[in-house]
Amino acid sequence: MIALSLEARAQRYFDTLQRRVQPGPDGLARIEGSRIYILPTRTGFLYGAVLLAMLLGSLNYQNNLGLLLTFFLAAVGIVAMHHTWLNLRGLEIQARAGPAVFAGEQARFEIWFQAGRRPRYDLRISYQGEQMAPVAIDPEEQRDSGLQVPARQRGWLVLQEIRIETGYPLGLFCAWAVVKTPAKILVYPWPVPVAPEPGHDAGEGCRPQRTRHEEAEDYLGARPYRPGDSLKQIDWKAFARERGLWVKQYGGEQGQEVWIDWSAIELADPELRLSILTRQVLEASTISTRFGLRLPGVIEPVGQGPEHTERCLTHLALFGYDQGQSSP
Amino acid sequence: MTKANPPLERPHRQQILWVSLLVAAICAPFVRYLEPSILAFIGLILGVRLLALRWPKALPNRWLRTLLALAGIANCLATYHTLNGQDGGSALLLSMLALKLLEIEGRGDLRLVLILTGFVCAVLFLFDESFLTALYVAMIAGVSIVLLVELQGGLPGDGLKTAARIGAQLILQAIPLTVVLFVLFPRLDTPLWNLVQDQAKGYSGLADSLEPGRLSELVLNDDPVFRVRFAGERPSRRQLYWRALVLRQTDGRRWTQGESGPSPSPLAQAEGPIDYEIVLEPTGQRWLFALDLPLAAPEGSSLDPEYQILADQPVTGLKRYRLRSALDYRTAEPDEAARKLALELPAWILTPRLRRLVEGWRAEQPDDWAVVQQALAYFNREDFYYTLLPPPLGPNPIDSFLFETRRGYCEHYASSLAILMRLAGIPARVVVGYLGGEENALGGYTLVRQSDAHAWVEVAISGRGWVRVDPTAALDPRRIDRGPGTRLLSAGPVRLEPENTSGLVRWARNLRLFADTLEATWQNWILDFSAKDQRRLLERLGLGDWGEYGLISLMLIAVSLTLGTILAVLMHERKRQDPLDRLYGRFCQELARRGIPRLAHEGPLDYGRRVAVSKPELAPWVEGFLGLYLPARYGTQRGPETAQALARALKRRPWRPS
Repeated sequence: MIALSLEARAQRYFDTLQRRVQPGPDGLARIEGSRIYILPTRTGFLYGAVLLAMLLGSLNYQNNLGLLLTFFLAAVGIVAMHHTWLNLRGLEIQARAGPAVFAGEQARFEIWFQAGRRPRYDLRISYQGEQMAPVAIDPEEQRDSGLQVPARQRGWLVLQEIRIETGYPLGLFCAWAVVKTPAKILVYPWPVPVAPEPGHDAGEGCRPQRTRHEEAEDYLGARPYRPGDSLKQIDWKAFARERGLWVKQYGGEQGQEVWIDWSAIELADPELRLSILTRQVLEASTISTRFGLRLPGVIEPVGQGPEHTERCLTHLALFGYDQGQSSP
Repeated sequence: MTKANPPLERPHRQQILWVSLLVAAICAPFVRYLEPSILAFIGLILGVRLLALRWPKALPNRWLRTLLALAGIANCLATYHTLNGQDGGSALLLSMLALKLLEIEGRGDLRLVLILTGFVCAVLFLFDESFLTALYVAMIAGVSIVLLVELQGGLPGDGLKTAARIGAQLILQAIPLTVVLFVLFPRLDTPLWNLVQDQAKGYSGLADSLEPGRLSELVLNDDPVFRVRFAGERPSRRQLYWRALVLRQTDGRRWTQGESGPSPSPLAQAEGPIDYEIVLEPTGQRWLFALDLPLAAPEGSSLDPEYQILADQPVTGLKRYRLRSALDYRTAEPDEAARKLALELPAWILTPRLRRLVEGWRAEQPDDWAVVQQALAYFNREDFYYTLLPPPLGPNPIDSFLFETRRGYCEHYASSLAILMRLAGIPARVVVGYLGGEENALGGYTLVRQSDAHAWVEVAISGRGWVRVDPTAALDPRRIDRGPGTRLLSAGPVRLEPENTSGLVRWARNLRLFADTLEATWQNWILDFSAKDQRRLLERLGLGDWGEYGLISLMLIAVSLTLGTILAVLMHERKRQDPLDRLYGRFCQELARRGIPRLAHEGPLDYGRRVAVSKPELAPWVEGFLGLYLPARYGTQRGPETAQALARALKRRPWRPS
C-alpha cells in the first residue's frame, strides 16, 4: 500500500514537471515537438532485450546474417520511435464543452483533432487515468471524439488538461503530451427524485409562498415588453435611457406564480436543500407555471421558459461558489 | 508512466490466426534440422491452436498447459539429452514458442510471440545461411512487423491493409540504417565465449581415406565445395586438378595417408605461376584445396612435403584464401625413405595373374615411364568400363577388378594403377581431390562441386620427380556408362569429354549457374564480411591507425547522419499556410481562370461585387463563398470546421465551358 501511494506520489510529482501544451489564441492547442514525451513500453523493453541477445549471439557465432537481421530490427525500432513522436507532433487539439448536466450524470466534452499534413493513427485520449478507444485521422482532416467525464459535484466541471497518447506504429514506444484544455461544463445540483411542492406545507414547516402580494407592491424585476402589457408597467425611465422597452414586474401580479425558496426548506445540509430546490425548479418548469427562485443573496424573479429555468439552475449550481473559483 | 499497453486488450481471432500461421512458417525450415519427435510435438501444439480457433473449448486449461510444457521439456531432453547447444536449444525454444500460443490472454502475449519469432529467425541462420533462407526470413520479419502494427491498432478502415502500408514504409526507411550498422558495427575476431562445437553437424565431402565406393557417393552430391577466381586467364579445364590429400599407404582395400615424409622437398622447377582466390565452404576438415601444385601455403596453414595444405584449424565456417600454383612443375626426387614407403604393398593381394601382368610389361620395357604408358594402354585396350554403379568386388578387390568386373569409377582405376606401379617397382601414391569445375561467366568464377571429386596417381620417375598420371582419362571414351545418373550430372566431368547437351539441359545448367552466382555474391558480400574487411575499409578511408575506436566513431557519425536525413525527410512539411488563405487563394485562382483576376488593391468584398456585375451567372457562387469567408476571416466565427465548409462551398462552382 505504501509503495503504491509512493508510486502515485512520484507520478504526481513527475506530472507537475511535464510541460503542458498551451492553447493558442484561436483555442487550438498545437503540439510542438518539445512538448512530447516518449518512453519505451514494456513491449519495447522486451524488444530491446531480445535484440541484445540476438546481437551477442550473432557476434559470438560470427554469424553475419544474424547480425544483419538484428541490425534491421534495431533500425526498424529506431525508425518506429521517430514515427511515434511524429504521430503527435503538429497535431492540433481543442476541447469544447458539451451541454450542462446534472450531478451524477456524465458530462461530455468534445475533443477536436486537426490532423495537419500527415495522417494520424492510434491517438488515445487519457483523462485521469482513464483511456479511451484509439482514433485515426486522415491528413488535413478533422475529427472529434467525445470524452465522457462523470459529473460528481455541482458547479463548474473544468477539464483542465488531458493526455494524448500514442503507441503507433509498433507499440514499442509510448509518446504523450499533456494538453491544457480550458473547457468547462456547468453541473447542476443533483435533483432529489421527489420533492415537496413549493409553496405547500410539506409538514416540515414549509409555509405557503403563494402570492402574498395582492397589492402588487413588491418589485420583482424587469422583463422585456410583450404585446398586451399594460402601459403603466413599462419602465419609461429605462426607455428614456435608450435601453428599450422593459416591463416592471411586481410580485403576485399573475395568479399562477410560485416562489421556490431556500428558506422554505429547513434542512441542515445545504447541498440537499439545493437538490430539493433543483427538483422543484424542474417540476415547476415542466408544468409551466411561472416561478421565481429565492436563494440567500440571489433572487431570480418570476419568469417562465427554458432560459428562465436555465438561469435558475445556474444559480443553484453556482450557489455559494467563489467568483474566483468559478472562472478558471 | 507509460500505459500504452493496458494489460488486457483481447486480441481478435484473426490476429491469433495470423500469428499462429507465422509461427508455423518459421518452424517449417527447421524440419530439415530437428528430430521428428520435436517436430511432432510442435505440430501437435500448432494443430491444437488452430483447432481452438474454431472450437475454443479445445484450448487446454492451465493445468494441462503446465503438463504440456513439462512434456515439451522432457521431449527435448529425451531427444537431445541436453537443453543447450544449437540443436537442443532451438528445439526447446521452438517448443516453448508454440506452447505460448496456447496461452494468449492479451495482445501483449501476441507481441511477445512476434518478437520471439525474430529470435528464432536468428537461430535459423545458425543452421542455414543460404540466400533463399535469408529471403524467407526477410519475408517473415516483414510480416511480423506488419502484424505488430496491426496489433497496435488505431488504424482507419481496413486495418491490415493500412498496417501493410505502414509496415512497408518502416522497412524501407530502416534499410539505410541497417546497411550502415552492418558495415560499421565492430566485429569480433575471436568469440566472446567458447562455443560448444556440435559434433553432430555432418559435412559431406572427401574423407581422409579412399576405398572403392567412397567417391561415387559424392558424384551424386551437387553441393558446392569451393569457388575459384583466377587473377589472370583461367587454365583449361583438363588442367584443373585440385589437390587435397595424398594417400601413401594401402592395406589392399583402403588407401590412407600414413606417416608424413621426413622433409619438405622444394620444387625443382616451376613455370607459369597462376594466382587465384578460393572461397571454401565449411568442410569440417583441415585440408585446403589447391591447384596442382601450390607454391606456398596461405596464412594460417602449412604446406607439407606432399604438397598438401593443412590449415591450423578445421574449416567450420566459410574460408577465403589466396594461392599461387604452378601448372608446369618438376618436383624434387623422393629420397630413399620416401621411395621405400611408396613401394610398400601387402603381400596377400598379389595373385599370380597380377604378377604375370606386371612382369610382362617390365620384360618389354626397362624404362619406368614406358611401363606407366603400358599400364595406361592396358586400361584403354582392354574392355574397362567407366560407371557409377560398379558391381561388388570379391575378397581381393584389385584382382577381381582387373580381371573380372572391369567396371569402376576413378577410385578403382587410381587405386589399381598405384598398386600395379608399386608392383612394377615404381614408387606410386594416390592423390584425392577434385577435377575441373564449372565456369560461371556471369559471376566470373569457377565452381567446384562435390560431384567433381576425383582420384588420380602420382608416380616417381627418376629425373622428373613425382609425375601425375590419370588412369581414368586413359579410358576409351566409348566405354563410358551413359546411364541417367551419369548424364544428369554430366558426371565424369572433364576427365571424359562432356557430351553435346540438348537445349533444355543447357538451359537448366544456365539456370543453375545463375542461382549459384547469386549464392556466391551473397557469400562474398554478406556472409564473409568480417573484421578484416572493416579494417581494410578503415585503411582506405585513412583511419587505419584508429582501429576499433575509429570504427565506432565512424559508425556513430554515419548513424546520426542517416537518422538525421530520414528524420528530415519525414518531418518535411510544406510551409503551413492558413487554411483560409489557401482557400481564398484557390477562389481567386478559379476566378482568374474565368477571366476576372483580382486586382492588387482589391479586397474580397469589392472583388466579389465586381465579379457579380461582370459575370452575373457566377454571383450566387461568389456570394456563397464570401458569405462564409468574410465572417470567418474578419469576424470571430471561426473553428476547425469553417475550412471544411469553405472547401465545400468552393467546390460548388458552376461548370466552366472550356
